[in-house]
Amino acid sequence: MAKNTSTLNSNEIFESHVHRIGRITIFTCIVLALFVPVLIWMIFGIIPPIKPLIFGIINVSVFMIPLSIAEIFSFYPVLGPSGIYISYTTGNISNLKVPCAAIGMEAAEVKPATKEGDIISTIAMAGSVIVSELILIMGVILLVPLSGYLKDSVLNPAFEQILPALFGALGAYFILKNYKLAIVPLAFGFAVSMFTDKITALIPVCVLLAILGARLFYKKGWVTAE
Amino acid sequence: MDDYLDIANSSYFYLWGGIILLVIMVQAVLFIRLAWKEGKRIGLTGKRMLQGLRAGMVAAVIPSISIVIALIAMSGSLGIPFPWIRLSVIGSAPYELIAAGIGAASMGVKSLGGEGYNQYVFANSAWVMTIGAMWSGLIVFFFLKKIKKQYAKIEKKDPNWMKIITLAAFFGVVCIFLPQPIVAGGVPLITTVTGAVLMIICALLIKKFEIKWLREFALPFSMVGAMASAVIFTRILA
Repeated sequence: MAKNTSTLNSNEIFESHVHRIGRITIFTCIVLALFVPVLIWMIFGIIPPIKPLIFGIINVSVFMIPLSIAEIFSFYPVLGPSGIYISYTTGNISNLKVPCAAIGMEAAEVKPATKEGDIISTIAMAGSVIVSELILIMGVILLVPLSGYLKDSVLNPAFEQILPALFGALGAYFILKNYKLAIVPLAFGFAVSMFTDKITALIPVCVLLAILGARLFYKKGWVTAE
Repeated sequence: MDDYLDIANSSYFYLWGGIILLVIMVQAVLFIRLAWKEGKRIGLTGKRMLQGLRAGMVAAVIPSISIVIALIAMSGSLGIPFPWIRLSVIGSAPYELIAAGIGAASMGVKSLGGEGYNQYVFANSAWVMTIGAMWSGLIVFFFLKKIKKQYAKIEKKDPNWMKIITLAAFFGVVCIFLPQPIVAGGVPLITTVTGAVLMIICALLIKKFEIKWLREFALPFSMVGAMASAVIFTRILA
């Protein structure tokens, strides 16, 4: 009993550290990012006319606020609290953080949604941030001489097709792992893609359907947690 | 006309980007240190944590190159430091371009960097992109602890269901993207199929011959192979 209590306390201490580091750094980055348009104003004296400014902000917010809430909810079980802080500080979640977390857990042979999985995915995602920021810096340094060159090169189709390449590989990975869980979201994904290619707003819907489908299958005993 | 690009490419913004980068790096290092300590406490070996770290870093290389390509594409109309900052903090390329477009459209300008795109339109794009991207960060800052409690209740009830919910959420994200290139056909379809086939081959090799190091490279290998097939098939189909 005494041992149980001490384990629980250590867990809570760890989690409070996660929230403290996460909240301080994410807030600092939000403020620093907000200063970019403020600098355009303060240094160069340029501020857009008030009407289009407010109109633009309202337009983007109407689309971003509900999307962000649903997205954070659907990514929470995938990324865990520390992963959410890392992901929403640096962005590029489904194309970078999610696959890096998955591959990290696979390499260290830990299962998602366990304490071990949470720790490994945090380490893997933070590692991916360091690599990705360094590559971005190199990109910035190399950009001026290379910009006109790469866009017209024979390699261009490769970069254009990076998402099909990524999701083909990830899709196969997950279907091999547990194909029954793919039935509902994949059916929805295909149905939607017949009508539109603007899928960003539908990510939360698809995740929700996947979870509801999984719930049904789990209740019926068609899927198990390995 | 090039006026706004002089502002967009000014050294102030490179400097500001450097400061933001520093905070991001500090966050990454702090989280690795914290998770490492906690991992040791619950009995994870340093070797396994290093495997996870290495895999995450290796898996980041190829997608990061695609972010650099997005940066190159955006730099023509928005300059270099601003897209760099937006792609480093919170943003991702498709969203940032939509937001920049909303900013321009609010000023009655149709294309980024096109006719009528002056310094005021650029400033409007900058405000709209920045504030649009701010919401998710603010929601996380104010409400993540509360979301956590909701999920904690579920976890106490049924840990097996939590494992399924996690896998299902992964499936949901992948399954909304996967059909797009398949329905599009042509090179995107071929690339997707190649990526899937290479991943299956990797999985078979890992299982049959127990090649453990391949786990870290299965995703990059499959992706690079699929991308190479895109170059080849673009030439064949052209």
